[in-house]
Amino acid sequence: MDQVYIPKIRNGMPAGSYVVIRPLNLELKKQAPILYNIKELEPVKIGLIEQIFSVIDSKTETENIIITGSFLEKGFNFNDIDVIIIAETQSRGIEKEIKEKTKIETHVIFFDNQLFIKALKTDPIYRLMLSKCISRKRLTPLPEKKLNYRYLDAQLIKSKSLILSFDYIDGKEKYKLTRNLMAIHLFVKNKTLSIDNIEKGIKKQLGIGIEDLKNNLTDNNFLRKYKTFYNGLEGEIIKNAGKQEKAD
Amino acid sequence: MPENRKKLISLLIGHISIAVIHEILIGSTENKEIADHYKKEMENAINLSKKYRVKTNPKNSSFRNKDSKYIKSQIINRVKLECNVKSKGYRKLFFSSISP
Repeated sequence: MDQVYIPKIRNGMPAGSYVVIRPLNLELKKQAPILYNIKELEPVKIGLIEQIFSVIDSKTETENIIITGSFLEKGFNFNDIDVIIIAETQSRGIEKEIKEKTKIETHVIFFDNQLFIKALKTDPIYRLMLSKCISRKRLTPLPEKKLNYRYLDAQLIKSKSLILSFDYIDGKEKYKLTRNLMAIHLFVKNKTLSIDNIEKGIKKQLGIGIEDLKNNLTDNNFLRKYKTFYNGLEGEIIKNAGKQEKAD
Repeated sequence: MPENRKKLISLLIGHISIAVIHEILIGSTENKEIADHYKKEMENAINLSKKYRVKTNPKNSSFRNKDSKYIKSQIINRVKLECNVKSKGYRKLFFSSISP
């Protein structure tokens, strides 16, 4: 007969109690998703996230999975779920399968590890995404940022749509474009990227509350400030992009 | 011009201008990664332009000459303005290649 040894001094399992013995590798402890800068999250969302992780696991081998975006904000006012998958190979049909299982639209972005690190170095939006997210495994610290002004200018042009279509776009779109503008500003100014800092920046620089912006309660005064701010930042970025290209 | 049509034409002009600006920017860089980014943005802008065009009357035929001229002149003005700003930092902005 084989024997199992356990410490004499232990919590629980008094002598004579019945126990189950099973191999450790058959049931590894399920790791709970890791939350970054999220104070609270509705339990139903945690359930959805676990479902998403399981769909992805069934389709591909991943190094990490990150959930980010408006899905992590309080309440259920989100359009889709943003998912970043770090994997060596891309797998097709994941978005469709997640939608079938959860009935929610998802937006999946694939990266291999190196490309993801590169994106985190140069792109303020990806840095911002990681400032509030849920990941399957613990994230490594952010890499040191690298200012590529030409790339930042390319990102900035998106925010020009607010000026071109001010009267015709809704509050959500205006908020998104303003957030992009402010994220690039904070990145260039070497400030920490977080939703809090961005929203404070919007209030300070453009004189508008976030709820007013999201609800499209914007007037010409806001548009004037936005234009001035945009043009100032664009001028600074283009000037530096020119210098950077000359130096290269 | 009815209000809704005016709005659609304005959005159409905005997105075509963005597409043209990106087309010019593609030619101004040798960095493939950035050129790909411009290309992606250009394609997005073209798709949005198409979306607004199919909603704008006349839906199944060309714009009237007057409207076409107006749209073209607006696009050229916007693109010229943007190129002027960009040319402060970038060389090789070939605006002439798209302006007839």
